[in-house]
Amino acid sequence: MCQVANDLRKVVSNKHEKFFERHLQLLPSSHQGHDVNRMAIIFYSMVGLSVFDVDVPAKYKDHLGWMHKHYIKKTLDDVDNTEISGFVGSLVMDVPNAITINLANTLFALLSSIMLKDYEFFETILDKESLLRFVSRCQLPNRGSFVSCLDYKTNFASPVDSDDLRFCYIAVAILYICGCRSKEDFDRYIDTEKLLEYVLEQRCRSGAFGTHNEPHAGYTSCALSTLALLSSLEMLSDEFKEDTITWLVHRQVSNHGCMKLEDNSNATYDQSDDGGFQGRENKFADTCYAFWCLNSLQLLTDNWQKLCQIELTENYLLNRAQKTLTGGFSKNDEEDADLYHSCLGSAALALIEGKFNGELCIPQKIFNDFCKRCHF
Amino acid sequence: MQEYDYSDITPLPIQTGLQDELCQIMYTDEYKQLMGLARAMLSANELSPRALQLTSRIIDVAPAFYTMWNYRFNIIRHNVAGCDDAVSYLNKELDWLDEVTLNNPKNYQIWSYRQSLLKLHPSPSFKRELPVLKLMIDDDSKNYHVWSYRKWCCLFFSDFQHELAYTNDLIDADIYNNSAWTHRMFYWTNAKRVASEVELADELQFVLDKIQLVPQNISSWTYLRGFQELAHDAGQWNDKLVQFATSFIGNVFSLPVNSPQDLPEIESSYALEFLAHRWSVDSSTRENAIRAYNLLATKYDPIRKNLWQHKLKNLN
Repeated sequence: MCQVANDLRKVVSNKHEKFFERHLQLLPSSHQGHDVNRMAIIFYSMVGLSVFDVDVPAKYKDHLGWMHKHYIKKTLDDVDNTEISGFVGSLVMDVPNAITINLANTLFALLSSIMLKDYEFFETILDKESLLRFVSRCQLPNRGSFVSCLDYKTNFASPVDSDDLRFCYIAVAILYICGCRSKEDFDRYIDTEKLLEYVLEQRCRSGAFGTHNEPHAGYTSCALSTLALLSSLEMLSDEFKEDTITWLVHRQVSNHGCMKLEDNSNATYDQSDDGGFQGRENKFADTCYAFWCLNSLQLLTDNWQKLCQIELTENYLLNRAQKTLTGGFSKNDEEDADLYHSCLGSAALALIEGKFNGELCIPQKIFNDFCKRCHF
Repeated sequence: MQEYDYSDITPLPIQTGLQDELCQIMYTDEYKQLMGLARAMLSANELSPRALQLTSRIIDVAPAFYTMWNYRFNIIRHNVAGCDDAVSYLNKELDWLDEVTLNNPKNYQIWSYRQSLLKLHPSPSFKRELPVLKLMIDDDSKNYHVWSYRKWCCLFFSDFQHELAYTNDLIDADIYNNSAWTHRMFYWTNAKRVASEVELADELQFVLDKIQLVPQNISSWTYLRGFQELAHDAGQWNDKLVQFATSFIGNVFSLPVNSPQDLPEIESSYALEFLAHRWSVDSSTRENAIRAYNLLATKYDPIRKNLWQHKLKNLN
C-alpha cells in the first residue's frame, strides 16, 4: 500500500501487521476496562490489517462462530412481541432479561464482518428488520438525534446516555450497510427529516460542526459523513461549505511563516507538528485528526488533495507518529503506539492513496466486494 | 463504606477461554467475581442498596460499561421515590459522582448521568456543580465534554452570571484557550440576546486588547469576526477594524512585490487574513484582497498556499 510512502521506504508494514495481530490475541488484565468495547478492538485491528493487505478472511475464518455469539436478538415483552437485535461489545454483557445491545458495537461488528467477508452472516443470520428496529428505537423523537443504547428494561432510549453527532452517524451508517440508499429507504426506519434538522443545528458560526458553536474535527467528520450517506450534502449552503473547507485546512499545523511566532508563547504549539492536523484551534496535532480532517475535506470537494499539503501530512504520520520498532502509530510523539491512533493513522494513509471509504471507515475495495455480493 | 452480604446470590459467571475467542482478556479473579454477581443482579433487576454498592464497584473497574450506569440510575430513581429526604439522597449520589468524575476525566458517560440526576433532583443547584467543573477545567482546560456540560448547566439553570468572569480568568491564564473563547461567545449568544451599545463597545475593546497582547492567535481573531457578526455591525466598526488589523502587518503593502525573502516579518498572519477576507467582499478593495492572499501564500502562511490560491480563484 501507499505508493508514495513506499517509494520512500518508510512504512513498516510488517511491523504494523504484527502490531494489529497482537491486539486480536491474548490481552493482559489491564484491558479489562475495554472488555465491554471488544468489538471496537476487533474493528480497529481489522481496519489496520486490511489497509496493509493482510488476508483477514483467511486468517480469522475460525472465529466467525464466536463473532456470531455477539449478535443478540430479543423478543420484547410488549403487545406486539416486537423483536429487536444488535451486537453487544462483549459476551460479558449478554445478560438474560436485559437489553444491552449497543449502536457503536453493532456498527463495529457489521464492518468487521464485512472485512471478514462473512457474507453468510449477512445472508442467513442477520435479521435486518429487527436490527433496524433497534436503530429506530435509539432515536430521540423530539430532538431527532440518537443515543447509543436502550434502557435495559423499558427498551426505549436510555435515560442516562448522551445523544450527539457520533451516534447519529453510527445509526445512519448501520442503515446504509443494511441497504438504505434513498430517503424513502431511511424513512422506513428513522425520522430522517428530524435527524437532518439536528445535524444542521450543530453547524458552527465559523464553519464546521460541534456542540454549542465549538467546532470539532471529529464531530465535523461525523456530521459530513452522515449527510453524505443520506445523500444530503447539498443541504449545506456554498458559503457554509467554503467556511468549513477553510476551517479544515486551517487545522493543518505549520512551522512556516507567521505560525512559528507561537512557539514561545503557545503552550499547545510544537514546531515539530508541522504537516499534521489538530482537532480544534490551538491544540497539538494528533494522528487521528489527519483522518477526521481529510475525510471531511474529501466529502466537501474533489480537489481536497490539492487544498492542503498532503505530503507534509504523510511526513508527519510516518516520521512523527509511526513507531518503527514496535509497529503502530501514536497520538502524536508519545513513546507508545495505541490501537485507536494506529487504526486511524493507517486509515489516513490509505485515504490519501485513494483506496479508502472514509464515510464507512473501511478499504473501498472491501466495501465494493460486499455490495456486489450482498443485496438486501 | 458499608459491607453488604451477597452470599444468597447465585452468580451468572462470565464465559472465559472460548476456543475461537478474539482479544481474549486475562481476567483477574476479582473481575470475574464482580461481573458474575453484577450480571445476576442486573438480570433480576434487584434495585436494592447492595445493588447500588455493587454498581460502584463495577463502574470502578469498567467505567465504560454503559448498562451499569443505566442500572445504577434505575436503582437511584426507584429508591428516591420512597425516600423521605430526596434532596440529601441525590446529593449523596452527586458526591459519589464527583469522585468518579475526578478519577475518569475522559469518560463521557459521567456527564449524561449527571444531567439525568439533576433532572431528577427536586432542587438542583448550579452552585453545587461549580467546584467539580472548576477542578476538571483546571486539570484539562480544553476538555470538550466538560465545557459542553457547563453550557448545558447554563441553559438548564438559565444562569449565566458566572460565565463572563470565568472566561476572563481562563483567557488571562491562557490566551490561546479556544474553548474559553467559544464559551465567551456562547455567553453572548445565549445570555445576552439584546446587549446595549455600551456593552458591545466594551466587549469589542476586550477582544482588541487581547489581540494587541498576542497578535498571532487564531482564537481571538475568530472571536472578533464572530462577535462583529453577532453584533449585527452594519459597517460602523469596519474602518476601525481594518485600521486595527493593518497595524500588525507593517508596511508590506507599500513594498514592491519581489521574492518572499525580501519581505519583512509581520506580527500576524491572521490580521492579514482578516483584511483579505474583508477586502474580498467589496469590488473597490479587490486589488488589495488579491495582494493580501498572495502575501499569505508566498510568505506569511505558506502551508495553506493552495487554499489562498483557491480564494484568489474565487475572487475572479
